[in-house]
Amino acid sequence: MSALSSHLLEEIKALPAKYPQPRSAVMPALDLAQEELGHLTPEAMSEVAVALQLDPGYVEGVATFYTLFHLEPVGKHRFYVCTNLSCMLRGAEDVVDRLKAAIGVREPGEVSKDGLFSYEEVECLGACEYAPVVRLDHRYEVDLTRGKIDSLVNDRRLVRSHVKTGVRSSLDTTPEPPRKKPVRRTKKSG
Amino acid sequence: MAEQRGTVGGPVLTEWFGRANLHKLEVYEKLGGYEGLRKVVTGMSAAQVIDEVKASGLRGRGGADFPTATKWSFVPKDHPGPKYIVVNADESEPGSAKDRYLMENSPHALIEGAAIATFAIGGHQAWIYIRGEYDLPYEKLRDAIAEAHAKGHLGDHPFGTDYPLDIRLYRGHGAYICGEETALLESLEGKRAQPRSRPPFPAIKGAWGQPTAVNNVETLSTVPWIIRHGGAEYAKRGTEKAKGTRMVTVSGDVQKPGNYEIEIGVTYRHIIEELAGGPFPGRKVKVFWPGGSSAKVLPGSMLDTSTDLDGLKALGTMGGSGGIIVMDDSHCVVKGAARLLRFYAHESCGKCTPCRVGSNWAVRTYERILANEGSQIELALLDRVQQGLQGGRCLCGLGDAAGWVIQSTMNHFRNEYEEHCLHHTCSVEGALIHA
Ligand SMILES: Cc1cc2nc3c(=O)[nH]c(=O)nc-3n(C[C@H](O)[C@H](O)[C@H](O)COP(=O)(O)O)c2cc1C
Ligand code: SF4
Ligand code: FES
Repeated sequence: MSALSSHLLEEIKALPAKYPQPRSAVMPALDLAQEELGHLTPEAMSEVAVALQLDPGYVEGVATFYTLFHLEPVGKHRFYVCTNLSCMLRGAEDVVDRLKAAIGVREPGEVSKDGLFSYEEVECLGACEYAPVVRLDHRYEVDLTRGKIDSLVNDRRLVRSHVKTGVRSSLDTTPEPPRKKPVRRTKKSG
Repeated sequence: MAEQRGTVGGPVLTEWFGRANLHKLEVYEKLGGYEGLRKVVTGMSAAQVIDEVKASGLRGRGGADFPTATKWSFVPKDHPGPKYIVVNADESEPGSAKDRYLMENSPHALIEGAAIATFAIGGHQAWIYIRGEYDLPYEKLRDAIAEAHAKGHLGDHPFGTDYPLDIRLYRGHGAYICGEETALLESLEGKRAQPRSRPPFPAIKGAWGQPTAVNNVETLSTVPWIIRHGGAEYAKRGTEKAKGTRMVTVSGDVQKPGNYEIEIGVTYRHIIEELAGGPFPGRKVKVFWPGGSSAKVLPGSMLDTSTDLDGLKALGTMGGSGGIIVMDDSHCVVKGAARLLRFYAHESCGKCTPCRVGSNWAVRTYERILANEGSQIELALLDRVQQGLQGGRCLCGLGDAAGWVIQSTMNHFRNEYEEHCLHHTCSVEGALIHA
């Protein structure tokens, strides 16, 4: 049994043709693998390597360089909390404390008992005018307060299928598109 | 739903911001969008486009202020293979959010600008490298590119011509160093993002070994306006040597943080006090980073400093990415600097020893200082480390930037450092020390 589904491996094999040189497909391929599994297992990385005809060590070297690739299991909803300067000045430390209590974990990377949540402290998210900010389920949540953290967590506890129906971010000012086919990236949190 | 925070209806970049659905091609085009690209592909030569941009005096807004037309003219004209425009949409400099603001509001302006630039260097394809966390801007660009293709503004026959133009998107995966242009190119090629040594410069050997010009989002978003109105019109704004308008992001201890379009040459006082609403009642500006976390800090007493790029350079600092971080007198400079050093140490790609080792030394030194374990030794150590990080000992600007944070905060706020190191107290954020 392979770690990645056969249709995904087919999709990965088709990626190199999209780039001037095939190697550029490595990150898009790891993206697909991570979406399917939630995180990158050694087996998944070596299957990606085989599909792209690259050395497994090389693929792992790329995966470990970038912070958005996860080599350990993560919560279904992962909070990327910005604690860089502009957010720190606006109370990011408080946000982290509240979040830890709300999801019941002690440290970054730890997955909550129900498997729903984990968090990570990240560098500037490029939305400093809304500090403090987190990225959650592929959207930014802004102007965070303790109350907002609680409701972000509670909403996801109450409606576990929330993400599948598409969460609207407070930053998203576009009208809701008809969602016949959900965008792949919003299907799972990564 | 959070409102967009920043200038709408400004002079150049934000001219059409605030109009409903500006991100849709139909709206953008009705206002005059894609006129520039049409003009270029149907009636101008590449050299004429470069001349027009040269007349505007436009300089790169990614941090290095390099003249855009000059950069394009470095790309060889007679190269037999492909040539690329690579758009730097990796925006990760702490304090900078303006590229996100531009892409969210007006993705077509970036696409049009990238297409014009591609034409100007005699290429046919542009790649937008966008940081992985920018989901919404990515989706807006993806949809806008599809619209432009469907309308025939991109593709094999843009505006009925035989000059193929294509724009592709590539997502980053979380690494500040990818903003440095050669690290970005490595990443685009599917590698770990470690800066390349130069020469060869990207203009000769860039993406996939081909001649490439790397340009910032804001730089390219300005280009359609320049083509529509003429370079001379753009050059009427700004200062003697730094022309036009630019975006700044104001964040931190101000009442109205946001992304503002300013005419280059206005003062920081104007930006921080008037546009961004100034500090909170009863507070004053203690210190500000004038151009992203990598620009040397200026104390609140220097609010009347001009945003003129060369003036800032003369002061030893820079306009950089335009990220203005404001700290008021309720916040501790040492703690702020410590947080930034943690950032630089985390983001160091590890290729050069002074940067890798120096930034981590600094982090540990700051940790001791904030744990009340500082002394004369820590003060001296920070001074040694900042010297080691600076002065071209490192391959890219990250090492220098880390050194500048230490040096410039120590220079202006020696008293706060001494208080921490020698007296183990903090009169600013007392709670921190007693915790
Ligand atoms: C450590 C480092 C980080 C950088 N980050 C960015 C960035 O996020 N965005 C950007 O446009 N330029 C960044 N730059 C500058 C780029 O290397 C390059 O100068 C710029 O993209 C060129 O575009 P421009 O001429 O239009 O400014 C960075 C430079 C360094 C040294
Ligand atoms: S200065 Fe730092 S980030 Fe830049 S190449 Fe050297 S080690 Fe890497
Ligand atoms: S510092 Fe948090 S988004 Fe920029």
